[in-house]
Amino acid sequence: MLELKSISKRYENRFLADKLSLSVSRGEIVALLGASGAGKSSLLKIVAGLEQADAGQVFFDQQDITQLPPEKRHFALMFQDFALFPHLNVLDNVAFGLIEQRLNKKTAREQALAMLARFNLATHATDKVTTLSGGEQQRVALARALITQPKVLLLDEPFSALDAELRQSLRDEFKQHISHMGIATILVTHDELEARAMANRGFRLTAGQLTPVW
Amino acid sequence: MKRSSRVALLLLPSAAVVLMLLLPMLRLAAEGWSGSVNGSVEWSFITIWQDDFLKWRLLWSFTQAVVTCVLALVFGLPVAWVLARFEFPGRQLVLRLLMLPFVVPTLVAALGVLALWGPQGVFSQALGIDLQDTPWLLLYGNLFFNLCLVIRAGVDALGQVNAHCVAASRSLGATPWRAFWRVEWPVIAPWLTSSLCLVFLYCFSGFGLALVLGGQRYATVEVEIYTLVAYELKLAQASSLALWMLVLTGLVALAYAYVEKRLSVATRLHPVALRHPKTALDGLAVFASLAILFFFCAAPILAIVWRALLADSQAWAALLDTETLHALWNTLRFSAVALLIATVLGIAHALGTGTGRGSVAWRAAAYLPLIASPVTVAFGLLLLYPDWTASLSLLIAAYAVLAYPFVTKAMTAGLGSLPDNLGQVARTLGASPWRTFWRVTLPLLSPALRRGMAFAAATALGEFAVTLFLSRPEWTTLTTLIYQRLGKPGAVNLDTAMLLACLLMLLSALVFVVIDSPQRADKRND
Repeated sequence: MLELKSISKRYENRFLADKLSLSVSRGEIVALLGASGAGKSSLLKIVAGLEQADAGQVFFDQQDITQLPPEKRHFALMFQDFALFPHLNVLDNVAFGLIEQRLNKKTAREQALAMLARFNLATHATDKVTTLSGGEQQRVALARALITQPKVLLLDEPFSALDAELRQSLRDEFKQHISHMGIATILVTHDELEARAMANRGFRLTAGQLTPVW
Repeated sequence: MKRSSRVALLLLPSAAVVLMLLLPMLRLAAEGWSGSVNGSVEWSFITIWQDDFLKWRLLWSFTQAVVTCVLALVFGLPVAWVLARFEFPGRQLVLRLLMLPFVVPTLVAALGVLALWGPQGVFSQALGIDLQDTPWLLLYGNLFFNLCLVIRAGVDALGQVNAHCVAASRSLGATPWRAFWRVEWPVIAPWLTSSLCLVFLYCFSGFGLALVLGGQRYATVEVEIYTLVAYELKLAQASSLALWMLVLTGLVALAYAYVEKRLSVATRLHPVALRHPKTALDGLAVFASLAILFFFCAAPILAIVWRALLADSQAWAALLDTETLHALWNTLRFSAVALLIATVLGIAHALGTGTGRGSVAWRAAAYLPLIASPVTVAFGLLLLYPDWTASLSLLIAAYAVLAYPFVTKAMTAGLGSLPDNLGQVARTLGASPWRTFWRVTLPLLSPALRRGMAFAAATALGEFAVTLFLSRPEWTTLTTLIYQRLGKPGAVNLDTAMLLACLLMLLSALVFVVIDSPQRADKRND
């Protein structure tokens, strides 16, 4: 279980998080709603270890991981713009995390290809990521995030760059994959409908405080 | 990146700049202020103005730099506008060729001007004009280098103009000229000011062109400093002059830093679309622009090639003599080592600079070696490290310090355009900071790095001023050999100088193509 305990973070004399606490169980999707600049993305980065909170702690399975660097947390983060590596092809993007886990390149690529097949992207394995459509890029990003079997999945506005129709189908696909793998997930979005469609619980972040929405 | 890692990275370039640039210049400033060398007072910072000859040198240096700025603006702005607004066959090639003067060594450019307008020059013979001992040779040489700089800045700046703003002004009754003046000019003016500051600095502290083209009367302060040190041994006068150069270039450099800081890249949501020239006036504008570019930028290079092709067989034979091969070998090995050091310094400076507080100051610091006059630096090094003046390490270190800002500049620009989240994703996927740098940052920055290295290599290959000050006879490079040949009488020596200039130009172009080849980049990314 992921737990945030009394997390505080200030930015330019404004609280992004003010003694904020939250817990997310395995297989659960928790949505964070809030206006732009409310601090949702900063909170995700604190969980990922990419930013340090001013105060408070992050626990995973009762272990304090507050000071653990991001590469040792085994969490996966997905950005709004997918952040695919433009110098690598589709296959090597997906294999990236496995290679960092010291898997040899051949095995990593084999596993990545199998993962791409699950996402119906095997035919694009050697394509440049820049040649893919928005929906395909999104699925490559999810495949890359899931292949290392992360303990926590952090989604930062993952559908906002896509059109409405594609959003609907990908939402269902995402939910299916996440529940299949039983990963604790935090979804950051400003779209309440999307949040309700995906998440088990929803919170609104305002002035550094989380208010339950459902 | 952690603050401590940044500080550690910045230590290396900082030490290099302090030891090879700031301390020598401070030493020079101290000597120049008192006008004393080794304790005996001979001259002072103020009394230099009582000497009519030195006063003329200072005033002329200033004047030729200002006149070059004005001419570069007058010719450059219309050409930039045409290149930024019209689509025509060969436009992309022209834009790429605008980089050429940055790759051509100063001495080669000087020879190009001589090949056109010198005693046996192509234009001077055809038109019956003799420009020897006039200021025009130097001004023409200055324009060869700096016109392209202003045009590039202008094209980039015009790309920042919002098409919707232009359309709105036209619909509100502005003529094309009024729309340019009231909408486009305010956007491009700061960019042009910034580039003109650079043009001034390059011309004011220029050495190679002034040495070859200025003659007795129109040489600049830098040439005078060299003459005073190398031939007349009047170190006190030289250091007082150098101090004035430091003060004046420092003031302009500050203005440049101020303008540069205010420049921001606007979000180009609606850039003005390129259009094909339709009317006769449009066609004339394109033709005139290409003619200006040919006259100022292409003609000197073509003239060197032309003169080299017509060179005497004795001159061709000189290409294979021991002296030339030795100079070629020296040029290559000095440049290779300097490039290696410059790359390390440049990467360390760029990565250490980051994007947080203080990054602006560090970014500006990277320009110091670019705007420092090589003659002043070399003279300062002579004064500060008298025991090391015959040291090859000092010469190569000076090469590296003068060349590394190109790597830093390219890398900081690359880092600035690299999305933060790529590195962040790599970290969450298990990559350590070092692995993230190696697997994500470096491959993505490699085009920028190669571009910076190509410029650094071209700078090292064409280095002339520092070599002239610090070199020993056995360390003759191609640039110093060209200068030696120019100083000798006879057509064969001039022909040999032209051939050597051609060789140096080819070498620079080759190095540039090899390092900055887009094919290599694509291959690596596949």
